[in-house]
Amino acid sequence: MDQMIYSIVSVKKKQRELNTLLVGMKGVSGADLYAVFCDEITAVVSNIKRTSLVADRSNAMDYARVIETLAQKFTLLPVRFGSVMESTEMIIRMLGRNYDEIQSNLRKVENKVEFGLKVLCDSEKIKAELRAKAEAGTITEPALASQKSIYKDYLYEKLKEHRFEELLLAQIDTIIQDITNHFAHLKPIHKFQKMATTTNIIDDVFLLEKEKKDILIQAVEDLQTQYADLHLLLTGPWPPYNFVDLTIK
Amino acid sequence: MAAIQLCRSHHKVINGMSENKILFNSGSPDELSEEIGKFTSNEESRLKLTPDNADSGLAKLVLTLVDLIRKLVEKQAMRRVDGGSLTEDEIERLGETLMKLEMKMEELKKHFNLTDRDLNLNLGPLGDLM
Repeated sequence: MDQMIYSIVSVKKKQRELNTLLVGMKGVSGADLYAVFCDEITAVVSNIKRTSLVADRSNAMDYARVIETLAQKFTLLPVRFGSVMESTEMIIRMLGRNYDEIQSNLRKVENKVEFGLKVLCDSEKIKAELRAKAEAGTITEPALASQKSIYKDYLYEKLKEHRFEELLLAQIDTIIQDITNHFAHLKPIHKFQKMATTTNIIDDVFLLEKEKKDILIQAVEDLQTQYADLHLLLTGPWPPYNFVDLTIK
Repeated sequence: MAAIQLCRSHHKVINGMSENKILFNSGSPDELSEEIGKFTSNEESRLKLTPDNADSGLAKLVLTLVDLIRKLVEKQAMRRVDGGSLTEDEIERLGETLMKLEMKMEELKKHFNLTDRDLNLNLGPLGDLM
């Protein structure tokens, strides 16, 4: 029987506490969970038939539920869904080979949780506003050539579109800088993604100490006042899904 | 992955995300549901290959990649035009090339019954390819 790894947990001297927590907890497809120890770190696993592992919504929810429950008590690194090894011995060897890197990652996320801030708005609407500004003459039109042709006109339209996109990205960079400055006193570790979708213009995930949650909510409320035309969505606390920097050897 | 979370029975759930995970939301629940839906069920950008649709499934994949390359070429061309280093003749030829490329793409999309929304790939937590 193969074993699926849910997360790697920093147990230190709390092996018994982890074992107690795992009693009665169920993983994907209702499988029992157990711990594979390697000194101060532990892989939480369940038995699974590799052929029956389906990446569907129900299994993903079961998987996330295990990680979430463990994260409430322990510092951990979530492991990607579908990470399967053939035996307990292989898992112990993998933990041993990667011990230092795993510990280094665990130290990075210790006592911290992940939050997500999505900045939502209609990017097409912003572009339309930029177009309106261009028509009002605030943006210089590109001077392509003296002699007109359909190809030059086509290129001219493309160039205008390109410039609107550049302006939009510059505007997004300004908002990112404002967010960074606004949260600086909380000392978070940010990861930004621009234009995840046409409406999610900024997707910010960050690591923060657990106890700073209330200050963070207040900071987001202040930010919303500054950007009344944007829709802010703050979620969390999450296990540190986006802050595991580990290539398993 | 982060959008799929623990859903306790006594909490309202919006598209798989438990409401107790939402700490601040200045939009309406409907807007939120729509936005999360884009991340969790992006049907158009999934590649669905079956024996019945092998042709169109493959066409969707190939055309998505061709369109990605076309857009990259277009962006690079715009930078060069913007830089002001091209002659009038070069601009004319560039315009003609890009226009014909776009027309050819439209033709291929029509042939395989695809729309702009189909020409994308969902890269999971990384978002969409384009």
